[in-house]
Amino acid sequence: MQTQTKIELSKKEHKPLQVNPIKHSQPMGAALAFMGIKNCLPLMHASQGCASYTKVFYTRHFNEPIAMYNTSVSDITAVLDGGDYSILMAIENITQKNKTLLPELIGLHTTGLTETKGDDVRSVGMHIEIPYCYVNTPDYEGGMESGWALTAKALIAQHTKPSAQTKASKILLLPHVSMQPIEVEKIKELCESFGCTTLALPDLSTSLDGYLSEGQGKLGTGAISIEDIVGLGDCEYVITIGASMNIAAKALLEKNAAIKHAHFNHLMGQEANDNFVALLMQIRQTQPNALTKRWRGRLQDAMLDSHFLIGSSHFVITGEPDMCVGMCELIQSVGGSVDAVIATNYSTVLESINAANVFVGDLEDAVKYFAKADLVISNFHAEQLLHMQEKHTALMLRGFPNYEELGNQLKNDQLYEGSTYFLFEVANALRVVKHEKH
Amino acid sequence: MVNRAKIKELMNESACSHSKDKKPGAGCDAPKPGMAAGGCAFDGAQISLFPYADAVHLVHGPQTCLGASWETRETLTSYKGRNHTVMGFTTGITTNDVIFGGDKRLDDSIAYIMLHYKPEAIFVYSTCVTAMVGDDIDMTCKLASQKHGVPIVPVHAPGFVGGKNLGSRIAGEAVLERLIGTKEPAFTTPYDINLIGDYNVTGDMWQYLPIFEKIGIRVLSSMSGDGRVSDIRTAHRAKLNVIVCAKSLVTLCRKMQERYDIPWVSVSFYGKRDTSFAIMEIVNALGDGELIERAKKVIAEEEAILQAKLLPYQKLFAGKKAVLNTGGNKAWSIASGLQDLGIEVVATSIRKSTEDDIEKAKEYLGPTGILMKAPASEQSKIIDERGAHILLAGGRSLYTAIKKKISFIDVNQEKKVSYGGYHGLLNLAEDLKYAFANPVFANVSKKAPWEMV
Repeated sequence: MQTQTKIELSKKEHKPLQVNPIKHSQPMGAALAFMGIKNCLPLMHASQGCASYTKVFYTRHFNEPIAMYNTSVSDITAVLDGGDYSILMAIENITQKNKTLLPELIGLHTTGLTETKGDDVRSVGMHIEIPYCYVNTPDYEGGMESGWALTAKALIAQHTKPSAQTKASKILLLPHVSMQPIEVEKIKELCESFGCTTLALPDLSTSLDGYLSEGQGKLGTGAISIEDIVGLGDCEYVITIGASMNIAAKALLEKNAAIKHAHFNHLMGQEANDNFVALLMQIRQTQPNALTKRWRGRLQDAMLDSHFLIGSSHFVITGEPDMCVGMCELIQSVGGSVDAVIATNYSTVLESINAANVFVGDLEDAVKYFAKADLVISNFHAEQLLHMQEKHTALMLRGFPNYEELGNQLKNDQLYEGSTYFLFEVANALRVVKHEKH
Repeated sequence: MVNRAKIKELMNESACSHSKDKKPGAGCDAPKPGMAAGGCAFDGAQISLFPYADAVHLVHGPQTCLGASWETRETLTSYKGRNHTVMGFTTGITTNDVIFGGDKRLDDSIAYIMLHYKPEAIFVYSTCVTAMVGDDIDMTCKLASQKHGVPIVPVHAPGFVGGKNLGSRIAGEAVLERLIGTKEPAFTTPYDINLIGDYNVTGDMWQYLPIFEKIGIRVLSSMSGDGRVSDIRTAHRAKLNVIVCAKSLVTLCRKMQERYDIPWVSVSFYGKRDTSFAIMEIVNALGDGELIERAKKVIAEEEAILQAKLLPYQKLFAGKKAVLNTGGNKAWSIASGLQDLGIEVVATSIRKSTEDDIEKAKEYLGPTGILMKAPASEQSKIIDERGAHILLAGGRSLYTAIKKKISFIDVNQEKKVSYGGYHGLLNLAEDLKYAFANPVFANVSKKAPWEMV
C-alpha cells in the first residue's frame, strides 16, 4: 500500500482541493434547519442552482418532497441589486402564485454568491410583513453542521423575547444536524416521559419523517412554531446535543441568564445516556420509567453480545464532527479500534476524539485507511470506492447523503435504545465480511 | 472571463424553436425570483461534459456546487481507465480565496490532479463566486495546459447567467472553441457521425449502438455519453451530427455546420417508432443507397424480433389508459413508448415543453388527446372523465393516484434501467406490468379505523 504521511488535525487544509468530497455546504444546513420549523418558507438567497441542488439532495436522501425556494439571482441582479429586489420579488411571486400558501416565517439564508456581493439581508426584513429570519451562510465557510447551528442561533437571537422568569421543567433541546427525524422524536419522548415540557430547535420530527400526507413539500412542517420560538425565553433548561449547537444555547442565555445550560457531545452509548438520564432525574426529582431502565439493560446486553466481534475489528468513520464523535465513543466502549476519523470540517470536539488518525479531509484521504478496516461508516459515496478495492470491507451508511437506502429518516442511533440497534447493525455487518475469510 | 456578448448570443439561438415568436434579441427567459426553478447554467454545463470519463472535471467554486452534485447521474461509460465521472473534484474555495483570489489554489489543484490522476484533459468550471471575484481562469488554464501538455478547458457557466439549457450551450461552446478540430482521426469513413446530447444515462446509448454497428454507421465522437476527449477533438471530420433529445446543443450543431459544413439531424430513441425513424433520418442524411437498404433490412429484423416480444405485453395492456405528467421532451417521447405498448395516452403535460415538443405531443396524442397546461389541477378530473388506469408523473402527484385508486409510476425518479432504443421498450413494459399489478396504491388509500363513520 501507499506509504502514509500522517495528516494532523488542523483548521488549515492539507491540500489545495477536495477529491470525492464529504463536506456539505452551510446553506444546505440552513435550508434543512428551516424545514424543521412549522409553516416556514425556506428561501435561499442564491442563483437557482444552489437551491435546485439542495432540493434534489434532500429529496433523494429522505425520499420526500422538499420545501425549498430561491431568489434566482441573475447576472443583472448580481451586480445591480442589493438583495432587496430579488428577495422581495421572490416572496411576492411565491405567495401571489399560491394564495393558499400561508407561511408563518420566511427563513432566508445567503450563499457564497450573495455574501460575495455583500447583500444587506438584515434590512430587507423591514419591508416584509411575515415574520422574517435571516442567516448569513456563505458556502466558502464552515459546513452543513455550522449552517444548521447558525440558523438555530439566528432564530433565537432574532425572535425569542427576553425574559427574567423560567418555567419549571420546560426544556429546549438543540440537536445537531446529523440527527434524523426519528432521533429527535425519541429524545423528546424521553424528556416528556420524565414530565418535562419539551421543545426542540430545529425540530424535524414531524417534517421529514416519511409521513404520507397531502400537499407536502410546500412549507416546512417542523414541530416547533415561530410562536414557540418567541416564547423560549422562559425555559428552565437548554440542552445542547452536539458541540456545534453551543452557539445557539449561548444566544438563548443572552435572552435570560437564569436559564441553565447542559451540554452533551452526543447521546450514543451507556456513559452519555447515563449522564443524560441523571440530568433529567435531577430536573424532575423522579425515577425514569420502567421502559427506559429496561432499555439500559438491553444496551448492556448488546454491548456484551457484540463486544467480541467489534472488539477485534478496525473502523473508519467519516462525516460531520458531532456525528463522528458519538459513533467513535460507542464503538470504542465495546473495544473497537477506530483507525481513522475523517471529518467534514474542523470542530473543537474533534480534539477530544481518541483515535489513531483524526483530521479534516475527503474520501480520497479516507480511502487510504479503507483497506485495513473491517467496517467503514460513511455516506453513500464510499460505496463505489469500496467496490474498487480487493479486500471486502463492510459499509454502514450514515450521514448525508444516502441516496440508495430507504428509511433514513427512521434510523435511530441515539439513547439506550438507538445505541443498542446501532451495535447490532455494526456487528451484523462485520459478521458478513469476517465470515468470508474462512 | 464570462463574456456577456457571448452569453447574449447563446441565449438567442436562431435555430431554437421558441425564438421564432420572440422579438430579435429577446432570447431565453431569465429566471424569475421565487419560482421553483430547475438547475443553473453550471448544472447544465456539468451535465453536458461530465460523461467524459477520461477527463477530470474540476469545479472551481465553494462547496455547494460540487458537494451536492457529484455521483448523482447514472452516466455509464466503457472507459477502461480510472472512471472520473463517478468522482468529484473541487477547489472548495474559502474566505481567503474570495478576498485574495483563487488562481493560486486553482493552479495548485491542477498540478495535484496531473500528478495523481494523469487525465486526458481537465475541464475547469467557473462558478458564481469565482466568476464574481474575477479569477483569471482562462490564463491559469492556458499556462497549465502548456505546462502539463493536455487540454485544460475553462467552462464559463456560473449559475447566475441562466438556466441549465444555457449552461449546456456554454459547454458546447467550450468544446467547439477549445477541442473540436485540434486533432485528426486515425481514419475516416463515409459513415462517420458525431452523437450530440446523449449522455448515456443508464446506458441509453448502448441500446441502439449495436444496431448502428450492424448497419455500418460509425460513431466518430460523442458529446458526451461514453465519450472520450481525444475523439471529440476529431469531431470536425464527421459527415453528420446527430443530436439526441437535446435542444440545448443545437447551437453547437449549427456552428459546426457553418464552420465545418457538417449537416445535422435531430432524433429521439424512445419507443419503436422513434428509434426506427431516427435510424432512417440518419442514413438518409448520410445519403448512401447501400447504407439505406441495409438500414431498412436491419430495422425490419429488429422490429420483428421486438414485436414478438411485445405481443404478450400488448395483450396485457389492451384497453389501458394512461395520463402522463412530465416535462420537456418526455411529454411525447414516453407517450410514444406507451403507445407502442398498446396503451392509450389520454393526456400529457405541456407545462414545461417547447413549441416543438408541443407540436410533437399533439401529433402523437391525436385529436382526442388532452394537452394539459396546468396538470396539477387538471389531471384528477381527466383521470375520472377518461377512466385512466395509470398516472405517470413526478413524486408530488403520488397523492392524486392514491386518491383515484389507480396505478402510479414516478417518471422523475432516477431510473436504474434504460427505456431507450428497441430493447428499452421492454424495460418500460416490465415496469408497467408490475405497476399495473401492484395493489399498493389501492391499499394505502384505505381508511384508518378511526376515520370510519
